[in-house]
Amino acid sequence: MTSKLYQEELMDHFKNPRNSGRLKNPDVSSGEYNPSCGDSICVDCKIKDDIVEQVGFVGKGCVISQAAASMLMESCVGKSIEKILELKKEDVLSLIKIKLGPNRLRCALLGLQALQDGLKKYQKDK
Amino acid sequence: MFGKRIKRYFPIFSNKPHIYFDNAATTHKPKVVVDAISDFYSTFNSNIYRGVYELSESATERYDQARESISKFINAADASELIFTSGTTESINFVADAWGLQNIKAGDEILITQVEHHANLLPWQRLANRVGAKLRFINLDIENWKLLFDEKDLINEKTKLVAITHHSNVLGPVWDKESLQLESFIKRANLVGAKVLLDSAQSAPHEKIDVQKLNVDFLAFSAHKMCGPTGIGALYIKKGLHDQVEPYQVGGSMVNEVSFEKSTWKESPDKFEAGTPPIAQVIGFAQAIEFINKNINLDELQKYEAELCSFAIEELEKIDGVKILGNKEWMRARGHLVSFVVDGGYSMGVHSESVHAHDIASYLDTKDIAVRAGHHCAQPLANLLKVDSSVRFSFYMYNEKSEIETAIKILKESIVFLRGK
Repeated sequence: MTSKLYQEELMDHFKNPRNSGRLKNPDVSSGEYNPSCGDSICVDCKIKDDIVEQVGFVGKGCVISQAAASMLMESCVGKSIEKILELKKEDVLSLIKIKLGPNRLRCALLGLQALQDGLKKYQKDK
Repeated sequence: MFGKRIKRYFPIFSNKPHIYFDNAATTHKPKVVVDAISDFYSTFNSNIYRGVYELSESATERYDQARESISKFINAADASELIFTSGTTESINFVADAWGLQNIKAGDEILITQVEHHANLLPWQRLANRVGAKLRFINLDIENWKLLFDEKDLINEKTKLVAITHHSNVLGPVWDKESLQLESFIKRANLVGAKVLLDSAQSAPHEKIDVQKLNVDFLAFSAHKMCGPTGIGALYIKKGLHDQVEPYQVGGSMVNEVSFEKSTWKESPDKFEAGTPPIAQVIGFAQAIEFINKNINLDELQKYEAELCSFAIEELEKIDGVKILGNKEWMRARGHLVSFVVDGGYSMGVHSESVHAHDIASYLDTKDIAVRAGHHCAQPLANLLKVDSSVRFSFYMYNEKSEIETAIKILKESIVFLRGK
């Protein structure tokens, strides 16, 4: 199952995360923390007409949590809030192209949780 | 009989070849234990105590024998001192609820250490909050990895309970054996009239436990960390305390007389085991103890595991950036696990403090090596040590030096890969 866990693309995203760094004056700012391993993701978004125009994130943690966040953030630029809120764990898994057991799945979903929580709050506040 | 010679009794190793270094979480099970459980269900399945037919008589006999043999294993004076629970966690919650709520009052003090597993922290945190007692801690000196007893008033007339781990599930040995630190600590607790609970989840599988010599009031351990099934463990309650402990649960089997208004309890152990117990698991537990009694000298096991620790420490220390958590001298003498962190990883495209323990564990898993990574259910300790998560190798009777060699080789590979150098 894990023989192809740390493949090149994943490691590349881990070492060179896309959209890394915080944004100035973001419309959305949201953080997620997993106390069981100390992993964290903080994500900022700029939004125009319900479209996520810009994403920036910082984080700390294992390869899976950080690379999955990088891949997800990259894929979400230009997408509507509605579309992003529809994303499920399967979508993240197909992005990172690896199979994960339930214990490591939480790592992979940390970025999605942070992003969706932030967008839900943005919608509610609007 | 250790290593390869004992490994053949554990079917999982032939069904799925792997290196298993997560024994502090749970150990593998010998075939005799698996068979004993299946045998119960296929040949004498029935409820105990109530049936007057042969099946029930056999089941009852085996259940009672199990209590006898497991109580002897920890040298309890009487089998009625051994209560079956679902494991260490339930055993400790049992004491907190059934003894603590009655006997610990506002202003009283409960003393534990900073190295406790959540199972021996949370029940006391909750009890202290419920009754207004104070939870106090024996601090850990993280330079020397020793528990600090400098504070003179740590045990005082307000101390009603001392609940301490025998071996840490993260650091291994935490008590100074040479100076009989644990023994003198228990003596001091006895002098002020405090009761003593020992969490033996990490010690009972690896060394001879003698509850009379230790002179503890409560002792908790789990079957699944010592060749037995999951869902079963034990709580030793010293006989003199049986009247001070309320039934943890009430219901069937544990009552003498019941009217619509009130009920009277039976004596221990019945008083403490309401409902149909996990009969198959108890029989499996007893079979695990029999397996250990028959094949293992616990003093030699401790020496064998300590040798594995020594070798692992020696090899780990050769790796640049590896920091071992715990008292290495004590691990080499009587340890069964080694936890460590690795410096110099990557995060957000720049070098970070450490290579993530989960990544190391997952990398090792790609080569069928099972190790634990995380805070090992001791979050406050992890915070104290300022490590989010560590890697743990924990050993048991079937592990071998050659497995450590393999694991170290793959560990080195994983560090090079994850550091990206």
